[in-house]
Amino acid sequence: MRGVDYSELRRTAYHLRRDMLEMCAKAGTGHVTSSLSCVEILTALYYGGICRHNPSEPKWPERDRVFLSKGQASPILYVVLADLGYFPKSDLELFAQKDGKMGVHLQKSVPGVEITCGSLGQGFGIAAGTALAAKKNRDLFMSFAILGDGECYEGSVWETAMFAAHNRLNNLVAIVDRNCLCVTDFTESLVGLEPLEEKWAAFGWDVVRVDGHSFEALLDVLEGVRDRRAPRPLAIIADTVKGKGVDFMSNVPLWHGAAPSGDDVEAAREALSGMCEMCDNCVRRDLRNER
Amino acid sequence: MSGKKTQRDAFWDRVFELAREDSDIVLVTADMGAPSLDKFRTGLAAQFINVGIAEQNAIQVATGMAMEGKKPFVYAIAPFITLRCLEQTRVSNSIMDIPITIVGVGAGFGYEDSGPTHHMLEDIAVMRSMPNIVINSVSDNVMARAVAEESVKSTHTNYVRLDRLPYDDIHSPGESFVDGVGVVREGGDVCVVATGAMVYTALDVAGRLDGRGVSVRVLDLYRLPVNGAKLVELLDGVDKVVTLEEAWLPGGMGSAVLEAFNDLGERKTVRRLGLDHAKGYSYVYGGRGLIHASYGIDVDGVERAVMETLEA
Repeated sequence: MRGVDYSELRRTAYHLRRDMLEMCAKAGTGHVTSSLSCVEILTALYYGGICRHNPSEPKWPERDRVFLSKGQASPILYVVLADLGYFPKSDLELFAQKDGKMGVHLQKSVPGVEITCGSLGQGFGIAAGTALAAKKNRDLFMSFAILGDGECYEGSVWETAMFAAHNRLNNLVAIVDRNCLCVTDFTESLVGLEPLEEKWAAFGWDVVRVDGHSFEALLDVLEGVRDRRAPRPLAIIADTVKGKGVDFMSNVPLWHGAAPSGDDVEAAREALSGMCEMCDNCVRRDLRNER
Repeated sequence: MSGKKTQRDAFWDRVFELAREDSDIVLVTADMGAPSLDKFRTGLAAQFINVGIAEQNAIQVATGMAMEGKKPFVYAIAPFITLRCLEQTRVSNSIMDIPITIVGVGAGFGYEDSGPTHHMLEDIAVMRSMPNIVINSVSDNVMARAVAEESVKSTHTNYVRLDRLPYDDIHSPGESFVDGVGVVREGGDVCVVATGAMVYTALDVAGRLDGRGVSVRVLDLYRLPVNGAKLVELLDGVDKVVTLEEAWLPGGMGSAVLEAFNDLGERKTVRRLGLDHAKGYSYVYGGRGLIHASYGIDVDGVERAVMETLEA
């Protein structure tokens, strides 16, 4: 994608991961591994020039609608929105604590958040409703729904998938965070989801499968979403790692819904530091501290 | 069925008239058909969305459209549009408080011979347990039209329970329905508070007892949460109350009346008539009257219960 500083995006992703980890460690809760798997997806949308939005006017009518249908990944979205200036970063310090403004699952009252979400298979359908309304109203915004792969077990997801294709909602993009893990086990051991691309295609969607941690791959697809001529909605299956960046939490089923504590916090910090090209005292962090 | 208009047709005809003047009104239907809906499908195609037999998606799509300024009516058979998608309604319309109008046809035993899957016996208990949702338990076509008009203006979600079978009108055109409860027959010895189609049973019982020298006041309680203050006001001078509903007793309209009395410190003798869990679901065929008789809420059963209450 032209004009994109991929190194800068990777640095941003590192700092978002780090801030999310600190927030959850302080709270002693939060779905850290679910958040880690979709950091690049959200970073690409919000920092990669894809999503039209306005932090000073969260309800800006022309904004793209972003629905984090996997509402348990709220920590990373909150960190993104705070970093972008939707609300003070100090609000993150009370995440899921007394007098806090936000809890473990996604909450509509937080500036920049479209829906309250935590029960799976619901945000996606609402996203389809907004996309249909946009068609009726001749609005040009896009609706992005970020689904967990485990969320795809919900029957309502497929009700919506069928509906969106039938109604030619090419202003709707579903990004499936394909981290292959649920709470107790790997998806293919639980009830196999594959072949996932074929399933979405059979429901009438255009489907692209990408490395969900590669900005090059994600932005290569996302940069064209507004100009697609196909009438079909677009599903992006983003292959990811649940817990990406912290090896000892990655791909371990029982890390779902947990935050590291004790010595694990420092170990997680240490693990994450390997993801930052310029490490702790990078330019971006210095600039941010001067604000 | 007789040639009388159903609540369904009265309701949708009025919504259609309103929708012709307001393109934000949209109908999201889960594979429901009717002449009144065909007008929508052909005359206002851009405002008619058929999602197929997919009630969960219906609620979600309607919610998304409401977030973008639309005024959606979601329609299906009552148990399916309340219970099948209950959690969608809970998250989108109760927790998030996004206003839509949920319309279920077949309140109580309206789908009389269809068996228990199609009987709607839990909706009042279930829907009234959630904040931000108003239940409109429609008793006639006059009310159906008024509820259609109010639903468009509502800032919270309305659940509209319509009967499937046609009845004569009880209410007068132009009547106000702001109070949530109203007197449909005056009387001074005992009061029957009924909802939906059971208002007709209550009126029949009142007519019979009139011949026995007993004066029965009948109230139509058509909206929940209960307007307790108005209810108490309309019960002035009557201490014995029978509630009558075509629903399981736990959590139903009668329970709501008791709660209102309790909260207001109102002491009345109350007998709740409805469906006893001990009798289970109904597989009685041959009409609504036979089903009612099997639960003791037919005219004979209610007459007996009212007299017992009066004499207690």
